[in-house]
Amino acid sequence: MTAVGGVAGRLPATPQAESIGKPPLPKRAAAFFRNNEEHAWRWSARVAVVLPLAALVFAVTVLALKAWPAIRVNGWYFLYGRNWTEGSGYGAVVHTDGVAHPMGSQYGALAILWGTLASSLIAIVIALPLSIGAAFALTERLPGWISRPLGLAIEILAGIPSVVIGLWGILTFGPWLAHNVYPIIADHAPNVPVLRYFRNPVGGGEGLLSAGIVLSLMIVPIITSTTRDLFLQVPPLPKEGASALGMTDWEVANKVTLPWVRSGIIGATVLGLGRALGETIAIVMIGGAALRIPINIYQPFTTVAATILTQLDGAFTDGTGFAVATLAELALVLAVISVGVNLAARVIITRTNRIGAPVGGA
Amino acid sequence: MTTTLAAGPSTRRRRISTITWRVLTYVALALIMAPAAWLLISVLAHAVPHWQWNVLWTTLTPSGGGLRDQILGTLILMLGVFIVAGSIGVLAGIHLAELARPRKRSGKASGGPLRTASDILAGFPSIVLGYVGYTALVVGLHWGFSLLPAVIILSIMVIPYIAKTTETALRQVPTGYREGAEALGMSMGYGLRKVVLKSALPGIVTGLLLALAIACGETAPLIYTAGFSPTLPHSLTHAQFPYLTYVVFQYYNAPETQYHYLAFDAALILVVIVLLLLVASRIIVSRTQRHSESARGTLRQRRPRPAGPPEPDLTLPRR
Amino acid sequence: MKPLMRAARLRRGAIVTAVAGLALSSVVIGTAASASIKLPGSGVETPSGGTVTETGSTLLYPLFNLWAGAYNTKFSSTTIQTAGTGSGTGISEAENGTIDIGASDAYLSPSVVSANPDLKNIPVAISAQMVAYNIPGVLSHLKLSGKVLSEIYQGQITKWNASQITSANPGVTLPATPIVTLHRSDSSGDTFLFTQYLSKADPSGWGAKIGFNTTVPWPAAPGALGETGNSGMVSGCKATPGCIAYIGISYLTQTLQAGLAYAALGNTKGQFVVPTQASIAAEAAGFVKKTPANGTISLIYGNIDNGYPIVNYEYAIVSDNQSSSSTAKNVRSVLEWAISPKYGNSTSYLSQVNFQPLPSKVEAQSVKQILGIK
Repeated sequence: MTAVGGVAGRLPATPQAESIGKPPLPKRAAAFFRNNEEHAWRWSARVAVVLPLAALVFAVTVLALKAWPAIRVNGWYFLYGRNWTEGSGYGAVVHTDGVAHPMGSQYGALAILWGTLASSLIAIVIALPLSIGAAFALTERLPGWISRPLGLAIEILAGIPSVVIGLWGILTFGPWLAHNVYPIIADHAPNVPVLRYFRNPVGGGEGLLSAGIVLSLMIVPIITSTTRDLFLQVPPLPKEGASALGMTDWEVANKVTLPWVRSGIIGATVLGLGRALGETIAIVMIGGAALRIPINIYQPFTTVAATILTQLDGAFTDGTGFAVATLAELALVLAVISVGVNLAARVIITRTNRIGAPVGGA
Repeated sequence: MTTTLAAGPSTRRRRISTITWRVLTYVALALIMAPAAWLLISVLAHAVPHWQWNVLWTTLTPSGGGLRDQILGTLILMLGVFIVAGSIGVLAGIHLAELARPRKRSGKASGGPLRTASDILAGFPSIVLGYVGYTALVVGLHWGFSLLPAVIILSIMVIPYIAKTTETALRQVPTGYREGAEALGMSMGYGLRKVVLKSALPGIVTGLLLALAIACGETAPLIYTAGFSPTLPHSLTHAQFPYLTYVVFQYYNAPETQYHYLAFDAALILVVIVLLLLVASRIIVSRTQRHSESARGTLRQRRPRPAGPPEPDLTLPRR
Repeated sequence: MKPLMRAARLRRGAIVTAVAGLALSSVVIGTAASASIKLPGSGVETPSGGTVTETGSTLLYPLFNLWAGAYNTKFSSTTIQTAGTGSGTGISEAENGTIDIGASDAYLSPSVVSANPDLKNIPVAISAQMVAYNIPGVLSHLKLSGKVLSEIYQGQITKWNASQITSANPGVTLPATPIVTLHRSDSSGDTFLFTQYLSKADPSGWGAKIGFNTTVPWPAAPGALGETGNSGMVSGCKATPGCIAYIGISYLTQTLQAGLAYAALGNTKGQFVVPTQASIAAEAAGFVKKTPANGTISLIYGNIDNGYPIVNYEYAIVSDNQSSSSTAKNVRSVLEWAISPKYGNSTSYLSQVNFQPLPSKVEAQSVKQILGIK
């Protein structure tokens, strides 16, 4: 037995050393925790940080496994086809490539994918200029006692559940738009290539434009708040120098501030885009649920997320399981788009960051 | 800055462009604020006229009733997310901030598959996670619509945010604190607990409150993991679970007119919950900023924001 | 006794005892199994207590709500939780075992039945579907045939004053309002019923091109809108002048309150019949003999004099294989209560939703199906 307190045999054995034996339990427990605490922290933290990756891998695996029969049978038609039908659900069951499905079933998701991309695009087109303009107003023009509460109001907007925004959209905002705003646009839109889509009929407020506007309202807080923080970080020297040289507010903003924060704005915009792509409830409530590409911008449409939400619980009426597999394929496509957008954003941000700071350097 | 130069055509053009620019920024701000205000006023206007306080403590009946169990359900979901996602998220944040091996490229640690995965999960569509939860947990593991799959899926959604805010809060703790702790002979765990986490606590707590705000407003994943129920069940699995957002989603169109009022009541209650969480996190931030050492003895007006917990930011992108 | 003989006798004895034991035990088990479900005099078993979850058809939902309250008054130990989510959801959740009773206007498809042999559809009531419209100034019952409806929903007839409609309705002034077709965006038994009617009335048109199902690929009619649930159809039609919508008869009061009117539909004999108690009951009566033991039959477009063409059995979709015997008992009790003419199938409930009670032969068949739930 090694002597307490040093190398065996060196120090005289004190009377206490012989009578100590093992320390009492509470002391041993405390020592155990002290010695192993770091271990516990490190390992539990390691497990915790791996969990998001594990969850992602798990999710994509489940989706891929469920979707595989549908991917095999639907093929590329899924991406460019316009017919979305379960087939004769009460009729015969046929087999293609060993996969059972109702006769006549055909799943082309072009209209659905189009709807997702179109609504997100409209949302970004509306939200981006509004957010940048508002961020400018908040940081450069307005005094602190106004801009701080307004900033708080924007954060409140960010926190409002999308189902509440959808409720307001379908009951109040959509009809108001359809009665007061759309007719004005529709009556004056000329019959030229892009603006053609803004002509009549106007509908009742459930449609692509209404959904796009409401979506933009949901992503504006993300972009505004990030842009505002970025503007606050722009060093004052280049801006003041530009002003001293006689540049107007607009020219300072355009030539100095915006280039400085460009990558940050791109990052925020892409993250807002990610939210718009995945938004479900508001689209279900305001989009009108029409499984086709709308003839004009006021007509009902659908998105991937809305289709999954509304069709999943009914999909099991297809006893072959093919409808469910197709919805899994749809979910997989949405997941891939979302991940792709996210990764693209990171690449863009790191690339624009490497270009080097503009005017003045910091 | 008025110019004293001769006002030529280009000066006039630039003056017009300046005024136009200023007006446009105000217009942009108004275009954002007006619908937001309209939304809140509309919710109030629809909910208040038919508001009865007993909505808070009556249970839902087939023809009307109150929202007691739905409110409790939302709160229990938030509690579950707080426990599960809170612990995992904070640990993940600790790893990213403190324990990860230093990256070769100094400065912002923007790489690493783990952080990338976390950011990707943050933007992942909630309905897809709901579908996975339905397929794997509700049907696959035969748990049925219930509380447990709902908490798991909501936690997965929210962990990236907690991890990110925890990491930011920890990075803002001055290295002097950590070095001082080590110099005093504290073990790593002791220093972490007593010094670092304590000073980052306000930031971590605000991150948790934000995550709770996100969780209480979710609908799509809950429809496919928790189902819905008029009353609070007594088990973690095999019993559908009540929550408020479903009421807003489905009841505004229900055959019973009393349900229309309940839909708006639920919307109002949700907005109030989110407001309370936001106000709470702001209070925490301002309290600690007042006491933080860099705020002491500084000029009030021109100084940039002193170091402290990060501003609570519900605008952290999601979905 | 000689050893060989003793061994043989012992063997014989053992065999006899074994066979006797086997026979006796099988008799005991057999009688135990079949004797386990015996209906009391009232025809309704007492439940084990707890919660029975039901979801599905929005057409059946108002009635199930009434039933839930009354059932809980009688058996305070057991509550029924109802929800109106669409027949497709009712079938799906019953398939997946996440719900105890799924409600559906549509019977199970062959593919579902072959994938889930334990699942069955049990008729619990007779309901009907009406076609409502929002035409300014028209509050009478328009005469609409299945073929005309098929053309409207295919976008071939686009205005209310089209010749096909005005020729069948000489006394009514129809405006030139464009027709806006409403359909169900969720997986719906009402869609099943309506498209079955269109398929049978227009076999070469709708039947050949689109067919019937709980969800169909709706043709591109101008301005066509999708709504969720029967109440969504009512509110959507109310908000859209010129709309036409198929709505379950249990929403008649709401439809009329919304200022909508409903049509007299054309049946096989060329008669235009308004959905009334008599016309619905007549249609149902014509199919009683043909209703099979498993309840799977369509009551639509039958060749019945003055019969309303869109009539159907409301089904409870239940699995024979419940997770526990107490759940099975609860489910059986609820269903027995629901179809009993003394309780759920009495006019006091059915008249509130304009349904008809099950004919006694069908009721007996349903009871038999219910007793199979274990």
